Amino acid sequence: MSTKRKRSIFNIISEYFEDLQERTERFRDALIEKPSWNHRACTMEPLQNIMVTPTEVIITVDLPYAEENTIRVKPISRDTIEILAKMKRKIRFDDFGITHYEGEFETLYCQTRVPVPVYMDKMELRFKKGILEIHLPRKHEYEIPIE
Amino acid sequence: MSEEVKIVERNEISRGAVMLFGFPDVGLVGVIAASHLISELNLTEVAYMDSRLLPPLIVLHEGLPHSPIRVFGNHDVLLAVSETAVSADTIYPIMHTLIDWGRSKDVKKMISMSGIPIQDRQDVKQLKVFAAASNPEILKAVKDKGVQVLKEGYMVGPQAIMMQYCAKTDVPAITLLAQCFFNYPDPEAAAELLKELTKIAEIKVDVSKLLEKGEEIRLRARDVMRRTQQEMSKMKKTQEYDIPMYVS
Repeated sequence: MSTKRKRSIFNIISEYFEDLQERTERFRDALIEKPSWNHRACTMEPLQNIMVTPTEVIITVDLPYAEENTIRVKPISRDTIEILAKMKRKIRFDDFGITHYEGEFETLYCQTRVPVPVYMDKMELRFKKGILEIHLPRKHEYEIPIE
Repeated sequence: MSEEVKIVERNEISRGAVMLFGFPDVGLVGVIAASHLISELNLTEVAYMDSRLLPPLIVLHEGLPHSPIRVFGNHDVLLAVSETAVSADTIYPIMHTLIDWGRSKDVKKMISMSGIPIQDRQDVKQLKVFAAASNPEILKAVKDKGVQVLKEGYMVGPQAIMMQYCAKTDVPAITLLAQCFFNYPDPEAAAELLKELTKIAEIKVDVSKLLEKGEEIRLRARDVMRRTQQEMSKMKKTQEYDIPMYVS
């Protein structure tokens, strides 16, 4: 007689979600595997973070060496914004001791996708300690009534 | 020492030193602090880690290969530092091997340097540094030196393994955690941590150059921060924000 134990439905579901999570992580890692600079465009990609609150979306971007008066934040579609800032000085690879690449960078540049609907035209910006804060009020397009 | 992970000594190692740890974590506080200590105290490489558990990479300095995890030191200090994010599934053998190796060198105490993330970090004028310790005596000694204690909460990452293993093996250990950004390199937090380190480890270090080079460090450390963030998400680092529920 076979002694093989049947797996419970909960184990099967749990394994399915673990597998899905692993695949998602691999996919995400594959997507972000690219250099953080583009020597043709002379840009470096800054680090960024998104937080969604009940009333607004807050995007922060770390902009070291950015000239405050050159920071530009532009919506380029309903859910994507583009952030640009000129650096106080040109940065070359050899500033970091790297001699096997050539190129110099003068702009910090990135695009960010906003995960929920927002009012792009009501965007507010703050720049403090080299961190750009972008505040976007949320657009609540529909509500599900509680019965 | 684990068979999977070996420490290869390059020089004679002094006994009775203080052993410090600077591993990639939130705000890269530990790595930035470690890097500053190496240059300010003129620490030299005294040992390195050899393991198949490490990613297949070497770090080239002046054209020569180096392990991403190395120990720097002088007569008084041993400093273990990693130049690459350590994956969640290799942290245990890596930390256990380093601690066992430190014990074999009779280190007098171990201190892990790291950060504790806070929201709206850019609005905070004065960053706080907290400490946790491996036993009540060393915790009291830390308090007596005027360092604030992290009383309740979760700790995730290399410093958590260090505290747990040092408590188990009866090694005096302290973790210093400076308030910092979660996923942006934070040289200012590293500077605050080093100021507190002076109080508990008799290591004097000037942080003015670290603060001057802040922007350069933030630009340079973006890629290490990005990779560290991927590993932090795998080890559920955001659990440090959680409110603990103790069952006493």
